[in-house]
Parts: sequence; C-alpha cells; structure tokens
Amino acid sequence: MGEVKLFFGPNHPGMNGNFSVHMYVEGDIVKKARPLPGFLHRGFEKLMERRYWYSNIALIPRICVPEPDINEACYAMGVEKIAKLDVPERAQWIRMIVLELTRIANHLMAVGGIGGPIGLYTAPQWGTADRDRILDIFEALTGARVYHMYIVIGGVRKNMTPKIEDMIWKTLDYIESRLPDYENLIFKNRILHSRLKGRLILTREQALEMGVTGVGLRATGVEYDVRKVDPYLFYDKVDFEIPTATEGDAFSRVYLKFKEIPQSIRIIRQALERMPQSDKVNVPVSKGSALRRIVPEGMAYVHIESTRGEYGFFVVSDGKNKPYRVAVRGASYPQGLYGIEKYLPGTRIEDVPIWLATMDVCAPEIDR
Amino acid sequence: MKERTIWEQIADSFRSRSIWMLHYCTGCGAMELPPTMTARFDMERFGITPMATPRQADIMLITGYLNTKTLRRVIYTYEQMADPKYVVGFGSCTINGGIYFDSYSTINRLDYYIPVDVYIAGCMPRPEAILEAFNYLMEKIRKGEADGWKRYKENYDWYKQNQIRSLGEVYVHDEFHE
Amino acid sequence: MTSSMSNLVKILEGFNPFVEEIDEKEVKITISSDKVVAVLETLKSNGYSHLSLMTCIDWIDDNQLELVYILFSWKNGGKFLVSTRIDRNDPKFVTVKELWPVARFYEREIHEFFGVEFEGNDDMKPLFLELWDEKPPLRKDFDPRDYSRKKFPDRKYEKDVIKEAKIFRGEING
Ligand code: SF4
Repeated sequence: MGEVKLFFGPNHPGMNGNFSVHMYVEGDIVKKARPLPGFLHRGFEKLMERRYWYSNIALIPRICVPEPDINEACYAMGVEKIAKLDVPERAQWIRMIVLELTRIANHLMAVGGIGGPIGLYTAPQWGTADRDRILDIFEALTGARVYHMYIVIGGVRKNMTPKIEDMIWKTLDYIESRLPDYENLIFKNRILHSRLKGRLILTREQALEMGVTGVGLRATGVEYDVRKVDPYLFYDKVDFEIPTATEGDAFSRVYLKFKEIPQSIRIIRQALERMPQSDKVNVPVSKGSALRRIVPEGMAYVHIESTRGEYGFFVVSDGKNKPYRVAVRGASYPQGLYGIEKYLPGTRIEDVPIWLATMDVCAPEIDR
Repeated sequence: MKERTIWEQIADSFRSRSIWMLHYCTGCGAMELPPTMTARFDMERFGITPMATPRQADIMLITGYLNTKTLRRVIYTYEQMADPKYVVGFGSCTINGGIYFDSYSTINRLDYYIPVDVYIAGCMPRPEAILEAFNYLMEKIRKGEADGWKRYKENYDWYKQNQIRSLGEVYVHDEFHE
Repeated sequence: MTSSMSNLVKILEGFNPFVEEIDEKEVKITISSDKVVAVLETLKSNGYSHLSLMTCIDWIDDNQLELVYILFSWKNGGKFLVSTRIDRNDPKFVTVKELWPVARFYEREIHEFFGVEFEGNDDMKPLFLELWDEKPPLRKDFDPRDYSRKKFPDRKYEKDVIKEAKIFRGEING
C-alpha cells in the first residue's frame, strides 16, 4: 500500500477549531505530519499598536475564544507593571475569582468536549450546559456572556455586588454536586478508557524539551504551575494543590483537568471569604483622559497559568499613548506546531484529534 | 422574482423544516454554537442539526471574521454544497469588518464574495439571536425569498472577479508543496 | 533581583552585558549580537531552560530590530529577557533551534512578520499568511489600514456614520 496524502481540517467535525494538519498516511498510520495554522490570523499584534492603551481592552479578549479573561488580565498586569500602578486589593481578589471561574468553565467544556472526537455524545451536552451556568454569572457581573472586557488597566470595571457573590456560592455548590456524575459518566466509561488510556504518551524529557506547559507537563509528574512557581495576584495567599499524574497519556491529561475543577472551586471560596469590602475596585480615570493615558517607557513580560499552560503578554511602551509592541505567547504554541510535527508520526489517524483535544491546541491563540 | 409553481412552494415549505448546517467554525462566533446546539437552547427542535460534509448540508454558517486563508476554503466549501444552499453571516465582522476593520488579513464584507441570506448583528451574537435568525431564515425559505444560491449562479462572474481581486487566486495549496 | 539571579548575572559578566532590572524576578540583559547564543547556553545550563517567548521589536527610528528571548526558570520563577539589536536593512541572525526545538517556529513567525533571516533554519515557509505580497506586516512602516482599503472593499453606508460619531464625540462641528 502506498502513502496517501490526507488533509485533516480545517473543515472537519473532529477538528478542534479552525486548524489544519496535512499528513502522509500509510494505512491508518501517520507517516509525516505538518501543522498548517493561520486560518484565524487577524494580525492582533499589529492592530494593538494602532489603538490606545485603554481601547485595546476591547480588542484583546478576542485572541482566545474559550477563555477570554486571561488576555485582559495579562495585558492589564503588564501595563500596570510598566506604569507601576497600584491596584486596589478588592480588585485583585475579584480578578482571581473571574480567572478561576473561566478556568472552571473552560475545563467543563474541555472535559465534556473530549466526548466529541471519541464518540461519547452525552459528555458535551453536560459540559456545555453546566458551563452555561457560569456564563450566567458573567452575564450578571459584566453584562456579556463570552467577551467580558471586565478586567481593565488599574482594576476591574465595576464592583461585585453581594447578590452576585451569592450567585457564585450557589453555582459552585451546584457544580461541585455534579462532579461525581461526571466521574461516573466520563471517567469510568469503557469508551474513554479504550480510546485514551496508554495513547499518545509523552515522557517527561520529551515534554520539557518541547516546552509544553500546563496539563501536558503535569501529566508527566512535574508539579510546574505558574500560579505556584511565580505567583501573581494573590495566589500565594490561598491554599490549593496542583494535581499531577505520572502516566503522561491522553487519559491522565483529561483527568487532570477534571481534578483541577475542585481546586478552582476551593480558590474561589477562599477568595470570596477573604475579599475585603470596599467600593474601590479601580484606579479612577476622569472622563476623557482614559484614552489619552500615557504609559512610561519600558517593557515587561507577564505570564499567567491558563487552562492550557503558560500564557504570556510581552508589552513594550515607548512612552506614547499607544503600545509600541505587544507580543502574545500562546500556550499551545509548542504542542500545536512542534508537537504535531515531531510526535504525531507513528500514531494512528484517529489519535490526531485526540492529541489536539487533550493537549489543548487552541487555534486562535496560535494564529492571533 | 418569478412566480413559484405550487410544487416549488410545497418543496420550499418542506425544506424550511429540516435545515442541516455545515459543521465548520470559521471564527469566534462559533463559541456560542455549542450552547445553541445542546441542552439549554436546543436548536434541534427547529429541525436544525449539524452535518459533517458540505455535500449534505443546507446552510453554511460563517461564524465571524474571515481571513483570506479561510475565505479560500469557504469558497471551496460553498461551491461543493448542493443547491439549494443558504448562508448565514454571524456578527459585525461579516457585516462590515467589525473590530477588525483595519486588519491586513481579514475581509470587510462577506456579501462581496458569496451571497448571504441572513446577517446576525452583535459581537458576539447570543444564542437567542442565533435562534431568531434561524427562524427568520426558515420564514424566508418558506416564502421563497432566500435565493442567494440563485444569485450566485446568475452573477457568477461578478463574484469570481471580486474573489480574485482580494485573494489573488482561489486555489488551496498543499503544505508540503511538492 | 533575587540572590540566585544576581549570582547568574555575575557569571555573565564576561559577556559585557547591560543589565536592567524590571522587577524583582525579571531582569533584562542587552548584549551584542555575536554573544547571544553563548549567553543563552549559559542561562539554559543554569536552570533557565524554558523558552517562554521569542519575539522581535522594530525600532524604526534607530533603524534596528531588537530580538528578545524570554527565558523562565521553573525552579525559582525568575525571568531573563535576553535582548540584542540587529541591523534593520539586512536583518540576519543565527538560529537557536538546537537549544530549543520550538524556536524553529518562532523564527519562522519572525521571518514572516519582520523579514529576519535565520541562518541554519532551513524551514522558512510562511506560517500564517498565504500569498503575501507586501512588506513584512509587523514592520512599523507597513500600514494595515491602507492595505485593507486597497484589497478588501468596505461596505458603503448611506449615512456617514463615522462623521456622525465624530460630531457626537465633539471632535468636529456638525
Ligand atoms: S463579530 Fe465579534 S464575536 Fe463575531 S467574529 Fe467578529 S469579533 Fe468575533
């Protein structure tokens, strides 16, 4: 049998977003693979240079669709670092709550979404439906379901009312009560075991050499998490654990995401309890001056732990009212480009979407 | 518009009850599709389900901004779909470029390249808006007003010329380049 | 600067660096371009083994491009920004793909967006853009608005919304 050229994606239901992999296959074994990103390239880094410091907040959540808040947080923290702005304490706590809520939402979607490529269609239904409850919180808090533009330079846009705090408590209880169901439906399911267990194993050396971060790395037994190693916001003041596994296979990667949900719930509960009451949640800007804000010269790299790994913004200012250069480190850069070329040859075709889904290859943040 | 025969009217009314959408997420508006498809908003009650291949799909959702690279694939896909076919444009990006009006790689206006039957405003459109748009599209099909596919055939040269103007060439290359 | 980082900076003294402290855990080192690989090797063998980001900045007024390598240590959470400047008219540099294989793709991206040639990296096909026919887009003298006007026609509105918005904002008198 000869080699056959196979174009996988972008228009393919098993594809994880708008992404493409071109392969040579023999039988169903992949012989050569080459990633083809760029279907979502919008030239963000250029557009950001053309807008004011403040108006960029409206643009950047669109870099990563499933988890938009990390962009705002990263960018705002970068600008605050250059401009040496002090952020009110309550705003920091609220930011943490928002970030963890998106983490839960994204994990629910990912844990459910793994059902798609392997043919277990109840899981996506559950995951999406439960994620919607978190989107409801966001809607009450920020006014939008997906793109919130809530975290701004110097704090957050508006205060969290007691009613919303109450809503968060209730939703957390609900999600916690659902977790055993997920465990039974998804992680004890034969389909998942036979499709994911022992597949696409990544050893620790390979993972470190490749530069993978996030669950891909933690599934190989290393406890590397930016929240612990280089704490930002108040992550050093709350206690939580970093779940790890040692197998390094696709199953443990999905399972780790699932195990991070209770930890995030724990963080949010602590934050809600310890958050000081105050009305000051941002550095007030008088009307009209927000757009003309000038950030002093300098550069800074800020990174945070997203659901996919280390996510960073490199911000350069030349002392004008617009950024001089903003570079984004997409967390799925290594596994989505280098990983596909290096580690997919030798696996089977059906493993390709599993690699994309479990390693969290997120096309919009690779392309930007 | 030509008068439809009674058979065409009946066919249109049946068509509107079962529209299958092509499962292709081109932009960020696709994020609101999972909630629309699944338990909470459940668009299957309107007879809309996702379909994997373009040859069996009836509607194509352009879920947001299109850059030139995707537009090439979209045109390929659109031309593969069987008649009758309908296009729904999501969000302000497909209407006038939206927030990416000055981007060097995204197009500003979708109906310049392929005919569009329904636009949904918003960035990003909520699931309710998507359902509303689908209902509107069904209404249009029933009345025989959703004739984008006919327009594409009639003005094929115009559309092709526009595509060439923005894309240079509408041909998809292989990444291995051999 | 934490003590382990200042120790490292002392080791690097031989390379004649210009050291800037951005904050406690973030240090920027500027060096001449021929010593970059040696510095990166030293840092890598001293725990800064994770290449967070490799990027480029276009300083058009100085007619230079600045290449920045951001290294991160998973052990102590420190960050080193290694930066160097190269000529803008004939940008050439050496590849670091032997140190970090993923750098191949960062270099491909920088080649596409800034036009920098990396010697030793043989795979320089465009990654994101197809059939690009202009100067590299992230250079400062490229204007995306003009390009967009030329290539992608706008929708014509009957009402001049932009003008109305300007009147509304008080920028012009209506
Ligand atoms: S209109 Fe908004 S949500 Fe839709 S594609 Fe454009 S930026 Fe994304």
